[in-house]
Amino acid sequence: MAWPALSVSWPASEIPPFFLMSSPFRRPVLRLRERSTAVLAGLAMLLLPAVLPPVTPAAAPLLPGAQAQQKLLRISAIPDQKPETLNRLYPLLANELSRSLGVPVKYVPVTDYTAAVSAFRRGDLDLVWFGALTGVQARLQKPGARVIAQRDIDASFQSFFIANTASGIKPIANQKGLSVLKGKRFTFGSESSTSGRLMPQYFLGQAGVRLSDFAGGAPGFSSSHDATIALVQSGAYQAGVVNEEVWQSNLSSGKTDPKKVIVIWRTPGYANYHWLAQPNLDQRFGKGFTARLQSTFVNLRASNPQQAQILDLFGAKRFIPATPRLYDPIEKVGREIGKIR
Amino acid sequence: MTPLAPAQHPWSQRRPAAPLLILLPALVLLPLAAVLPAVVHGGGWELIGQFAFAAITPSGDPVLLASALRGLGVTVAVALLGWAVSLALGLVGGVLSSRTVWRTMAGRVWPAGALRRLLAIPRSIHELLWGLLLLQLVGLQPAVAVLAIAIPYAALVARVVSDLLDALPTAPLEALRAAGAAAPAALLTALGPALLPGVFSYGGYRLECALRSATLLGVFGLGGLGTELRLTLQSLQFHELWTCLWLLLAVMLLLEGLVRLLRRRWGMPGRFGLAAGAVGSRGRELLLATLALLPVLLLLALALGVNPAALLVVQALPPFHPDWPAVLALPWGAMVASTLLLTLLAAALAVGVAPLLLLLVAPWPWGRLLLQGLWALGRLWPPPLTALLLLFVLKPGLITAALALAFHNLGVLGRLLLEAADAAGGGAEAALRCAGCGPRLALFYGRFSGLSRSYLAYGAYRADVILRETVVVGLVGAAGLGTLLLEALSSFAVDQLLALVAVYAALTLLGEDLSDRVRHRLLAA
Repeated sequence: MAWPALSVSWPASEIPPFFLMSSPFRRPVLRLRERSTAVLAGLAMLLLPAVLPPVTPAAAPLLPGAQAQQKLLRISAIPDQKPETLNRLYPLLANELSRSLGVPVKYVPVTDYTAAVSAFRRGDLDLVWFGALTGVQARLQKPGARVIAQRDIDASFQSFFIANTASGIKPIANQKGLSVLKGKRFTFGSESSTSGRLMPQYFLGQAGVRLSDFAGGAPGFSSSHDATIALVQSGAYQAGVVNEEVWQSNLSSGKTDPKKVIVIWRTPGYANYHWLAQPNLDQRFGKGFTARLQSTFVNLRASNPQQAQILDLFGAKRFIPATPRLYDPIEKVGREIGKIR
Repeated sequence: MTPLAPAQHPWSQRRPAAPLLILLPALVLLPLAAVLPAVVHGGGWELIGQFAFAAITPSGDPVLLASALRGLGVTVAVALLGWAVSLALGLVGGVLSSRTVWRTMAGRVWPAGALRRLLAIPRSIHELLWGLLLLQLVGLQPAVAVLAIAIPYAALVARVVSDLLDALPTAPLEALRAAGAAAPAALLTALGPALLPGVFSYGGYRLECALRSATLLGVFGLGGLGTELRLTLQSLQFHELWTCLWLLLAVMLLLEGLVRLLRRRWGMPGRFGLAAGAVGSRGRELLLATLALLPVLLLLALALGVNPAALLVVQALPPFHPDWPAVLALPWGAMVASTLLLTLLAAALAVGVAPLLLLLVAPWPWGRLLLQGLWALGRLWPPPLTALLLLFVLKPGLITAALALAFHNLGVLGRLLLEAADAAGGGAEAALRCAGCGPRLALFYGRFSGLSRSYLAYGAYRADVILRETVVVGLVGAAGLGTLLLEALSSFAVDQLLALVAVYAALTLLGEDLSDRVRHRLLAA
């Protein structure tokens, strides 16, 4: 590059007196004002350490390395819902976990799917609510990570293909019918979303629809399920795909206008969201901690008002134990599509 | 065609006149107007309407305001810290890669050239790429954003400082050396004071850039107000979005005003323009301001939780299973071509439209204010978000991405053009007006003709910046290397990522060389 300023040159006569004063070639005849400035500057530098509060490692909210935060359980979640929902949900959960497990719990917000996986790999997060794909990615990057629990609805989760009514796309009878989406403006959710991208892309591929078949030569990535619904409803995209849970909640809250956006096809079920924990929690928090963590989730009950609120915000009746094997099909699809390598 | 001697070549006589030169890039509007109807889908005009309406009805929710202010604080702190670190490192790097310094100190110049070439590498990688790579390397911590800004900026500053140093007249230096002064003392005395105005002027400009970069890094999840902007846009919470945007606008205008004020007060030259400033005569003030900045920076670093020690702990990298044949099989040719096309389109639009708009509104007194407002928004609003907004009504693809990049750079170029036009003095324009010229023609011939070459030279530099920036509009899809980059990141495909960064670096280095040549020709003529 270079800076395009016109050639910069200054005649020597314009060199300011201040700098000549401090040059080693004149006797240092500092006038009173210069001297006072110099004294002031020197004092300022001297006092600098005094005005600074001592540096404590605790000032860093997210220190790499688990050893830095031995006794703090850091939980997080992939940002696939509206941030305000997550910010309400997680402090509640943190309190409940803290009460039941007897350790301090802190919710660390993460703004990006990839960042959540990376933070888990580095041990910056202890317990994360992952989607199926991100969970598998995280487990492959952190061997020994423990799958803790999923919701009742995660055992057989569905994606819904939706369309704007003005687009003329009609509900389709079977998977082959997905080919009507060729040449349409189509959006996924986030790149790493299981229900908003991975499984839908897999089903589209089975129906012979490639990503380059969409209008503009590529699908959009709206980044969240809520955004997908809003964009399809507005007509910015003619069709899209969302997870069943967000669709139902938008429909029941009246945010979705059934006159403008309809479901055209429901995918077969697949395993989705789950809690994933670091392999070393037992060493850090005591023997049996991981097992207690699992039973805390599994024992959340709607009869307890506090716990009911949590279950409600998670959109679950209850949590059930989960195992890595449940996610083997997801890993296979992920490898086929190139999201897992 | 029969070869002609250079002097008789028809083109050498038919060079466009200087005032016309400035409008040449605007010709790109013609083909654009031809293809634009095919790109419009118009599905989301309603959303655009809601977005525009929300500008005058921003949300006043105290919870939101509090979180927006916190975000703003983080963005400003990241910008200031990144800028200060880059300036300090850049000054050192600049001195170390200056030919004059090496000649005086060691009697040879080749180390300067070698270092200069080495510094080209960090410079060629966009701050966003640095941020995303560092995120993988050292984890999500506040220092990542600071470092992501500091690394490429330091290399930029170093280049500028060494260029400035080598352009200074060497007579005073030689005189001091001949009189028997030691090399370091002679260098400091002869070159130090003369260097300062250029450095401070450029430093002020870098601070404005740093604020924009910090906002952009936030858009990609590295914290601060950018994150809020993206989240509110994606969940279509336009009222909340505008609250954040107005806050950011206020801070940006304040900062720009302050930099302008200080530049004028300390007698620094403008960034490009005809009037070279005198050397600052307020050295004491300058020194005190610098000293006052130090504790502020340290406090900011503490508040932000920057922990330099944590940067040294390189954590486990994602598992690396390279599959080079697959990487080679990617459509590199098509991706590079679309990246270059995107750059040219965006650069021509941004460079061409700024003077055109100024001419259009010349007769109306409020027109200029309106443009200044529009340009401020363009500077402030990160290109990926413009792209997302454009997707409401345009199909994804190259044109949409180019428009987004052009809008942002138009904001930067427009302001510089206006500043330079103001600094150029209005004598010729006033004379033309008195002779009965219309306001547009008077502006065109009176002011623009003198500026056109240096403006276009700056435009060539800007094209180079845009090439680097193409990485940020990958969100729009079908926009060259940027799209693949985001996909590679979310798949943890380290091999693809490395290849992409290398290709980006090579492209920007080539582009830099090309834009250097164009600029020299423009300025030499």
